Amino acid sequence: MKFLKNRAVLITIILFIAAIQLYSLNIRERKSQNFISGVVLTATYYPQKLIYSISDKLVNVWQDYLDLVNVREENIKLKEDISKLRMEKFELAEAGIQNKRLKKLLNFKEIPSYPVVPANVIGGSPSMLRSEVIIVDRGSSDGISRGMPVASSEGIVGKVLTVGDKSSEVLLITDPVSAIDAFVHRTRVRGIVKGSGGGCTMEYIEQNSDISVGDKVISSGKEGFFPKGVVVGTITDIETKGSFLSAKVSPFVDLDSLEEVVIILKSNNIVLNE
Amino acid sequence: MNKYVSIIFFVLLSVVFITIQTTLLSPQNLGYYYPDLNLILIVYLGIYSETRGGFFLALGNGYLMDVLSGNLPGTFTISRLSAYLLVRSGSSHVFLRKAFVQGIVIFFATIFTWIFILTIIKIKKDSGFDITAKSILVQGIVNALVGVPIFWMIHRINARFQK
Repeated sequence: MKFLKNRAVLITIILFIAAIQLYSLNIRERKSQNFISGVVLTATYYPQKLIYSISDKLVNVWQDYLDLVNVREENIKLKEDISKLRMEKFELAEAGIQNKRLKKLLNFKEIPSYPVVPANVIGGSPSMLRSEVIIVDRGSSDGISRGMPVASSEGIVGKVLTVGDKSSEVLLITDPVSAIDAFVHRTRVRGIVKGSGGGCTMEYIEQNSDISVGDKVISSGKEGFFPKGVVVGTITDIETKGSFLSAKVSPFVDLDSLEEVVIILKSNNIVLNE
Repeated sequence: MNKYVSIIFFVLLSVVFITIQTTLLSPQNLGYYYPDLNLILIVYLGIYSETRGGFFLALGNGYLMDVLSGNLPGTFTISRLSAYLLVRSGSSHVFLRKAFVQGIVIFFATIFTWIFILTIIKIKKDSGFDITAKSILVQGIVNALVGVPIFWMIHRINARFQK
């Protein structure tokens, strides 16, 4: 230890070189997960879950109080909504029957449903270097494994990066490492949606493609990770990049305030929508 | 006996700090105004270099950061270990136990670790990391302001543990 103390600067330089090597090794081998990472996730699960439970209860108590304050007016409004919804329900039932009939007529393939596991978001990244990471309270004991897609009721969230026994790390679609094969819902124009820190960018869109600001982008299911037809986001800006178009995509899901997600139980050898 | 009590105390403290940093004080909630408790603890271990097992505690704390920040070993583990060694080396030459000086040390340790990490990213031409000079400076100041009272708190609790 005395050796370390007296040669701190020299050792720092050596460590710096070692860090570069480790970093490049890790970029290449990001597909694998080591045993210690899983142990770290499991060790931090219980305190994270404890803090999550306490803060969740406190938020609920406060929310209940706020709800009580407005309960009377809300009750009147809800009764009006119920009568409106009853009408809509009738209309939807009619449309549903018609839809089934038309699908049969067109020999439409049913979109398969996948088993999902609901999970609570119990933590986030401790660093601003890679803040596009969340921690959820489901792990290998719940059947979760690396690479499984994660979504919310509003759209795609990301995919499982590291798995512990009771918790997992999820890489959000806004992380620079993330990439999704997607298309524009209106015109079926294809591209790759990549993370760019706070948002996403749809790249490799052919020039002269029919896309415009406000178009919805959905997953194509081609890369085999995400199911087909799940909403990714909305196009907010378009620019020309070399011989392709590039569009800024604002994710549909508010990734900064995620509370619940679902993990799609997809084994690594099953390719979705193929 | 005291040696083991001290190590257990700091291991527990590391878990508590990283838990708080991934939940209540996560950058997802606070943006870049979050205090980096993990780094503050490492600087503490460097300044109070008589703390046993400081080298391994700094290594472990850096690794915790790497795993929980998207599994990028080689960035935080080594940058924080280097920061620990530099502070430890400095503490044997300069008196670092005054609150004002400690604040400055925490500030520069924050700047050092970010320059370390960003240089690696720059050399490896890895894009997509949106970290600005302003965010680093702000974090240095936040860490310095939060770090000094935390140092005082750790010192008091550790002293009680030792009794």
